[in-house]
Formats: sequence, structure tokens, C-alpha cells
Amino acid sequence: MSINYLLKRILTILFTLFVVSLLVFGITQVLPGDAAVMLLGENATAEQLAAVRERLGLDASLAVQYLHWLAGVLHSDFGTSLRTGLPVTEMMFPALGRSLLLALLSIGLMLIIAIPLGILAALRRGGPTDLGVSLASYVGVSLPEFVTATLVLITLANPAFGLFPATGYVPLSEEFWRGLHHLVLPVLTVSIILIAHVMRMVRSELVDVLHTDYVRAARLKGLSPRRVLFRHALRNALLPTITIVALDVGYLLGGIIVVEEIFAFPGIGRELIVAINARDLPAIQAGALIMAATYALSNFMADLAYAALDKRIQYA
Amino acid sequence: MPDALRRLLGTPQGQLGSLIVFAAVLLAILGPALAPYNPEQFHITARFQGPSSRFWLGTDQFGRDLLSRIMMGARSTLPLALLATVIGTGLGAVIGTLSAFLGGRADEAIMRTVDAVMAIPGLLFALLIVTSLGANAFNAILAIGIAFAPSMVRITRSVALAVRSQDYVKAAIARGESSRFIVVREMLPNVIAPIVVETTIRVSFAVMTLATLSFLGLGAQPPSSEWGLMVSEARSYLFRNPWMMVWPGLAIAMIAVGFNLLGDGLRDALNPRTSE
Amino acid sequence: MTAVPILSVENYSLDYAGRAGAARVLQRVNLAITRGEVLGLVGESGSGKTSLAYAIMRYLPPNAREPGGAIRLLGEDLRTKSASEIDSIRGRRISMVFQDPSTSLNPTLTLGEQISEVLVRHKGLSQREAYEHGKALLHKVGLKDPAAMMRRYPHEASGGEKQRVTIASAFAAEPDCILFDEPTTALDVITSRQIIDLFRELQAETGVASLYISHDLALVSRIADRVAVIHRGCIVEEDPAAEVFRSPREDYTKALIASVPRPDRRLVTGEPPAGATPLLAADQVTVRYGRSSFIDSILRRPAAGTIGAREISLDVKPSEILGIVGESGSGKSTLARALVGLNPFEGTIRFGERRLASAADMDQDYRRSIQIIFQHPDSSLNPRQTIGDILLRPLRLYGVKDNGSERDMVAKLLEEVQLPADFAKRYPHQLSGGQKQRVAIARAFASRPNLVICDEITSSLDVSIQAQIIELLLSLRERFGTAYFFITHDLNLVRQIAHRIAVMYRGDLVEVADVDTLTRAPSHPYTRALLDAVPTPVG
Repeated sequence: MSINYLLKRILTILFTLFVVSLLVFGITQVLPGDAAVMLLGENATAEQLAAVRERLGLDASLAVQYLHWLAGVLHSDFGTSLRTGLPVTEMMFPALGRSLLLALLSIGLMLIIAIPLGILAALRRGGPTDLGVSLASYVGVSLPEFVTATLVLITLANPAFGLFPATGYVPLSEEFWRGLHHLVLPVLTVSIILIAHVMRMVRSELVDVLHTDYVRAARLKGLSPRRVLFRHALRNALLPTITIVALDVGYLLGGIIVVEEIFAFPGIGRELIVAINARDLPAIQAGALIMAATYALSNFMADLAYAALDKRIQYA
Repeated sequence: MPDALRRLLGTPQGQLGSLIVFAAVLLAILGPALAPYNPEQFHITARFQGPSSRFWLGTDQFGRDLLSRIMMGARSTLPLALLATVIGTGLGAVIGTLSAFLGGRADEAIMRTVDAVMAIPGLLFALLIVTSLGANAFNAILAIGIAFAPSMVRITRSVALAVRSQDYVKAAIARGESSRFIVVREMLPNVIAPIVVETTIRVSFAVMTLATLSFLGLGAQPPSSEWGLMVSEARSYLFRNPWMMVWPGLAIAMIAVGFNLLGDGLRDALNPRTSE
Repeated sequence: MTAVPILSVENYSLDYAGRAGAARVLQRVNLAITRGEVLGLVGESGSGKTSLAYAIMRYLPPNAREPGGAIRLLGEDLRTKSASEIDSIRGRRISMVFQDPSTSLNPTLTLGEQISEVLVRHKGLSQREAYEHGKALLHKVGLKDPAAMMRRYPHEASGGEKQRVTIASAFAAEPDCILFDEPTTALDVITSRQIIDLFRELQAETGVASLYISHDLALVSRIADRVAVIHRGCIVEEDPAAEVFRSPREDYTKALIASVPRPDRRLVTGEPPAGATPLLAADQVTVRYGRSSFIDSILRRPAAGTIGAREISLDVKPSEILGIVGESGSGKSTLARALVGLNPFEGTIRFGERRLASAADMDQDYRRSIQIIFQHPDSSLNPRQTIGDILLRPLRLYGVKDNGSERDMVAKLLEEVQLPADFAKRYPHQLSGGQKQRVAIARAFASRPNLVICDEITSSLDVSIQAQIIELLLSLRERFGTAYFFITHDLNLVRQIAHRIAVMYRGDLVEVADVDTLTRAPSHPYTRALLDAVPTPVG
């Protein structure tokens, strides 16, 4: 991979993060609700409010406020939560960690299920497997996350059957098996959505690859069907899967908000919802920025991985 | 046009999609008139019921007929989702076409910015906007529209560029046609079809996102019978009467699937073949 | 006593089942190829020649039906073999070389691996042995640095190099029979010639029975021992190669032969007077593409971009046919597009008395006089407009009037290109390629231009259709006195119809001369190489 390419990509992601920070800051500034009033309550006097405003830097111009905030962010200082009074960093980063755990487990489960099924559907195109897979994908993609979560809850978390707990979180470091037990339902829910997407993509990629001239040429060279499938077809069909997984991280981040809310999973999505409901501006900004940055970074890494693996993208 | 309609109804996706969407639109227009019960009416003695011959889908915590409430909900969900999609498409199409038309540095600048904006996941973006503007149905559609716009910009631009590179556009330029003629008479008819297909598919996203926002309390507000809101309100009674959550959820899924199928069907129907 | 044929197709028929019933693709085909023989199979598009190749390789789509016949390889009927038996036969006893080496090689595997795998599979060699053997094979097919080539990926090799690799793979397991499906169609003329020479060499050396499929009768008549002509699924005629041009028996063959461009048969006369003022002239016209990137402008590097056409000075006289010849990338289309304002250019264009320095200077008078027709009929007509709408446009734009109504004028235009008047109501997708090109020609002639630029307008058409289009163009010239700027890569064709020929190579104008001088005494080495490479028909 050329230095040029790498440089370009890095410049792009820096630009992206910059724009994202501007957007997050800009949108949330429109929030009605005075931070000072929130802190001191409705009955505060004008002087008290002015003093707090000054302390919080709210009297400066928007641009200055932004720069102030940005400077803080670059030092991992997202300010103080208006709700809890604690540094936002302390709240957000552990939450991010938990969300990442959820995400990684879900992606793992998705890869184990979606890829083989997608491949099978492509190989038995038009048959019952294919039909089943396509149908499941269609439905899975059309169900909003909260509906999937609800259905999962109703079936698997029914107190009558007592299979899985409906809510709650236990850190794996404390009690491994119980922690895992609590993780099953959220992971399952998130996985279902991911599986629906990826299964479809894998199937369609593989079907396309199987119809290329080079796969035909490989078959007509008399190579074993196994070699044609694994060495020629699958390699090329699965390469785009990297990109798809990266894109799914975005979906995941959006959907994870909902899933964490329903299962009361203390991840960054849930923190964000709580912050939104409490109009906790610094926390909202932090949560949104972190999530968006995570997405941008995962895309960035996917780009690099793809470029490293696909020889044709050397000279971008 | 009738030719395209015929082709649309020729495929299974087209048939099913059209059917579902048609039924949904009918429901939205006629809504309560078709409902067996008044959606607002309480039946105190028949609360938390599952499906029965009297109440086909069951009742909620107030004894309201679920079927009637769902039918009423079509009135909220569908028009709102359509409006959000139109906003998003309109905004996206204008910017996308402009960018393609301008070309060069301006195009690059616009696209890089759009790419950066797309780093914010759609739901998150909509959430942020709704939070700032205030939680109600109208702001929710505005938020969804704005959140959808970047991807529509991308799509419109790529379609516009593809059309622009066709020889018939070059032939028009070589003839000395005015820019207006080229854009309106040569390009637009060929750009509209893929846009229509994409828009139709986006409606299904809009439906899902709107429902999600309402579910989170940031979209339609009570006493609306928007489906996402219905699910949210039913949360507390999840295990007492799960049907209260299931039916609205399935209704959302049905509409989303319907628009998806319709979009797929349209894609084939509106595609001009190169040679018979 | 004739030798036992290596490959023998006996009374073979093939159908494709579709919604509207079964379409017969091959009808009772009979062919035989003996050891050391090259059988040429010539047909136009839709003749079934490619389907026959895939039928022989037993690679047919699921909706294929074989109502009858046998395909024997050394006596054994391939139709009776199981899938695994076929797998072991393919590549080892019978192999295939495809048309486009860019798409028939896996882009993510090295060339070395793609040739080694054949050796591992069919000759039981180990990976290392196969690799070494592969290198030797690459050397045999004329690749200069086999070791380096083994490590390269397809996109790092030229079309000719890739095709050599594919040929090497096909010969690798020393098969009894090889099918060649238009192996030079995707290559430029000079490279094609090299590949054909390679083929001849290898074929003579190994004695492999070869089926050489092509649409190019001239080419095939030079390299095959016998030629079979296939039309609509039937073998129409089969002759020794030397005979097919001299004494064709069937009507279809005769018509096909008549369509093949033969440079010795001039189709046009009427040289323009020597001292005539040029109608259109390019003075040192240079065309660049590619923008300077953002980084470049920050670093103040000079505008790079590739040069498509470099300082071209060329002119066309009234009623003259100027042929422009060159391979892809030579800049001929780039130049043509600059002449109609589609590409920005440096330099001057002289039009009569006027001098134009950019597209902005091209007024309506210019545009009326200078028209262009593109290569691909599929994309040059707006799929959402009727033929009538398409033809009305230039009439309206240029204010062409006569006594009739618009409908009548459109009908007249259609009649000029020998199309029925009711085509005006149809859409482009309802017309064939040749018919669409006629519409494009009608569109260009609507304003009665002085010069029509034809940018490879027959390159995507069958030879017989091409002949009809050429005939049409020449008759329109007779009628209206139009000059042509005729771009093509087909040297035989251009020598039939042009007065003067300009040769372009990699953006430069290499030579301009009248046809006779060019043919007899070309001054530039590239022109000579081109002339040598082009196959002229035997007989």
C-alpha cells in the first residue's frame, strides 16, 4: 500500500472527525434549556445564573465555546455531567467498553452464522435453502431493532419459562457465567439484525462471483470444484464482507442505542438516552461524538484492510 | 406508463409490494371508518385480552380494541414516514444533482463533506436533531429527513454522473443544445427512475426510524396511535399481554417489507431495456 | 483412409428452454477435427458458435436441452460422462482459450499460481515442480521475464501478456484438443498478430487439434486448414481454407464474403481537387485529460494530466473521406470529440475562414455543419425518447424547414436511411444495433452537414451489417456531398473507402498520406507494422 494512499486516508478521517465534531456541537447548541438554570434550579437569581454561566464559559461566542470544547476533547476531557456532577469521561468510556463487548460478541456470532448460510444460499440458488435465507433476510432487515428485541424478550425472557433475564448486567470480571447469561439476549438481538444484512450480502456477492468469466475459466481448466470454490470464488466474494462489516458497525451503533435501552444494558447508547432525557448537554455531546468517531474509525480500518488485501487498489 | 405498470405487476415482488402498499394507503385514508370499534373507546371489562372472536387482535390496558388502534395508527405512521422520505429525497436530490452538475472542485468538496456527515449513524443523527428541536412528530420527520439526505445526495449524484457520461448526452452537447434542454429533456427522465426506486425503498427505513424514535419517546407523542408509540406504551405490560407489543411491531414490519418489495419491483419495471 | 478424428460432433442439436418455449440454438451440427488440424468456425453474433464451444466443454446453463447427437473426444461420447469424469477431462484432454484475458483471469491471484494450478491438478506435480514448469511454459510462449511474470497479478500485465499466459495454461497439460474462442478480438491489431503467430507455432509443434472460433473470415482463412461457416445454428458450408474465398458455394457464405472489407476493392471514387481549401482543419490541437489534484495545486506542481492528443495538425477537404486509424489509446476519439466541443483543447481549429480557439467559439453554424456519430448505438440514443423525438431534435434546433409537417420531415429522414416511417413511434430498445446506427446517421444528416465524424461507428456491428452501413454512408455522400472523418481500427475497411488516411499512435499523428502511397510506401515504422499485422483474405 503506497504512502500516498495512507496519507490520503488519514487526511480524510481527520476531516471527517472535524466535521462530525462541528455537527454534534452545532446541533446540540440549539438545545433549549439553559445549563445554568438546570444546575441551579428555577429559583436562582440573575446574578447567580450569570456567575455560573461565566464559570461554564457559556457567555463566550459559539466559536470560542466550540474551540474550548474541542480542546478539552483532545485531552479526553468532555466536561462535567450536568446530571451526576461527575466528569463525563468517567461515565462514557467504561460504557463504551461495555458496548464494544456487546458489539464484538454480536459481530462474532454474526460471522459464524451469516457467512456459512449466505454461502449455502448462493450455492443452492433457487432451492429451498436459498429461499429460506432470502426470506429471513428480508424480514430481518424490515424489523426495527425494538421489534426484534421485543419478540426476543417475549419468547426467551418470559418469566413463565424463566430462561433468560429480561434486563440487567453483570460484569464478566465479577461473575463470568452469570454475566454471560445476562448478555445472551442483547447479543442475540443485535446479531439477528446483523445476520439478516450480512447473509444477504454474502449471498449476492457470491452469486455474482460465481458468474464471472474467471470462475468459468477456472472450472473449464478442470480444477476440482473444491479448489474453484475456495481458492477462486470465496476469496473474492468475501473480500467485500470486510467493508460490509464496517458499515454494519454504523448500523449497530444506531441500533445499539435501542437495544441497550430495552435490555437496560449500561452501554454508551443507554448513557446517551439517559443524557438526552435529562438534557445533560456535555454528556450528549460526548456520547454522540464518541459513537460517531467509533464508526468513522471502523470505516477507516476497513478501508485500510481492504486496500491491503485487494492488490488492485495499490495506486489510489 | 401503463407498460411499466404491467411490468411491475408481472413480478412477484411487484405484486406483493403493490398489494401491501395499496392496502396501507387505503387504511390510512379510510382508517377509522373501517375499524370495527372506536379506537379510543375503553372496554373496562375486557382488558389485556388476547385475540378472540370479539376482538380480533386483542385489547390493551384500557380495553381498547387493538385492531382498531392499529388501523388508526396507519394514519400517523404512513403519512409521516412518506413526508420524511420526501424531505430527505428532495433535499438529497437537489444537492446531489447540483454537485454532479458543478463537477470539479466544488463537487469534490461537497462530496467529502457529505461523506463526513455520513459518519454519524442515521438514527443517532435523527436523535440529536429531535433532541435539540423538541420531541414531537413533526420534528421527528424533519430529523429523519435531514438524516436521510446525505445518502440520497450520494445516490442522486452517482446516478446523475452515470447519465451524464452517456453518449446521448454527449450527442446533445455536440449538437449545441442549451444546458437547460440537456438537463431537463435528456438527463432528468433517465435520472428519475432510479431515484424513484431508491425513494420507495427509503420509505421503509423512514417507517422503521420513525417508529424507533416514537418508541424512545422522541417522536410521536401520546395520545397518538403511531405504532412505535404503541409498542413503547405496551412495554410495561410486556408479559401480561404480549400481543399489545407484537401487533404494532408486525404492522411496522409489514409496511417496511411492502415498500421494500415495491421498490424492488419498480427497479425492474422502470429499467429501460437496451434491446428487445 | 482418413485418420480417426480427435474431436467429432455428430448431428448435435441444442435448445435453450425459455418462457416462450424452446429456442433452437444449434441444429444437427456435424464437425470433425483430426490430429494436427485447425478447423476454423466462422459466424456472426447469434450464430451459435460460442454455444457450440460450451457444449463441447459440457458447460451449459441449466435451461439447456440436448435433443440429440453426440460429442466425441477420441471416440468417447462426452455426453455420457459423469460430472467428475468431465472435470478430469477438462483442462487435461480438452482445454479452452477465452476471448478477453482481462476477465478470464482471477484478479486476486498471481499469474504464476493460475498456471501452476493446472499443472498440479492434471500432471500431478508438486507445487514447486509446477511452479518451475510454469516458468518454462511462460518462456515458451514468448514472455520475456518468466520469473517476474509468475509473480505478477493480472492487472500488472498487458493484454498480450495475459493472453500468452492463458494460452500457456491451455497447452500446459498437453491436451488432445483446444478450443480457441475469439482469442484476439479483445487485443489490438499488432498484438493480435503476435498471438496468432504464437498460436501457429505452438499448434504446428504440438499437433493439437484446434477449433478456432471467430467472426473474422479473413483471419480464419489464413490460419485454418478448413473453414466451417455457421449461421443460425446450422453449419452452412465447410471448405478447405484456400477455397472458401475463391469458390464459396452457399448464398450466405457468398454474402458474408462480400461484406468482408477487402482493401483491393475500392468502393469510392471522386478525389477532391488537389488545391481545394480545407473544410475543417486542426492546427496544433492538443487535448489533455485529468485534473490536477488538490495536492498538486497546493504544491504548485504544473497541471499534469495525461495527453490524449498531441499537437495534431490535420485537415479535411470538402467531400473528402479522411480515414483515421489507430489502436485504442491512440487519441483518435479524443481528437474527434475536441472537434465537436466535447473535450477542451489547446490550439486552433480552422473552419472555412474562421478560427476557433475553444468550444465556446463553436456557434450554431459550426455545429450544424460538423456532426458526430458515436460507436455504441445502445448509448447514443436516449432510451426514453421515441425515434421520432430523437430525429425531431436537430430539425427543431437548427430550424430546418421544408414544406411538409414535422412528421413528414421525420419520415423523410427515416427513408433516407432505409428505415420504415412507422419506426418514428418506436423506442430504441425495440430496434436492432444496425437499425439504431441508421437512426444515429439520420440524426446526423438532418441538418445536411458538410462534415460527419464517424467514431468507430461500425466496430460493434457484425460484418454484414457493417457492409450495409458503409454502403449507406457512401450513398449519402453521393447525394449530399458530405465529407467524412472516418475513425476506425480496421485498416482493411479504411483502405476501401478513404481518400487519405491518417495514422495515430499514442496521441501522436504519425503519418498522413493518400491510400496508394500509404499502402505501397508507408514512411513510418508503425504504419508498416500495422499493415503487416492486418490479415487480408486468402484468395
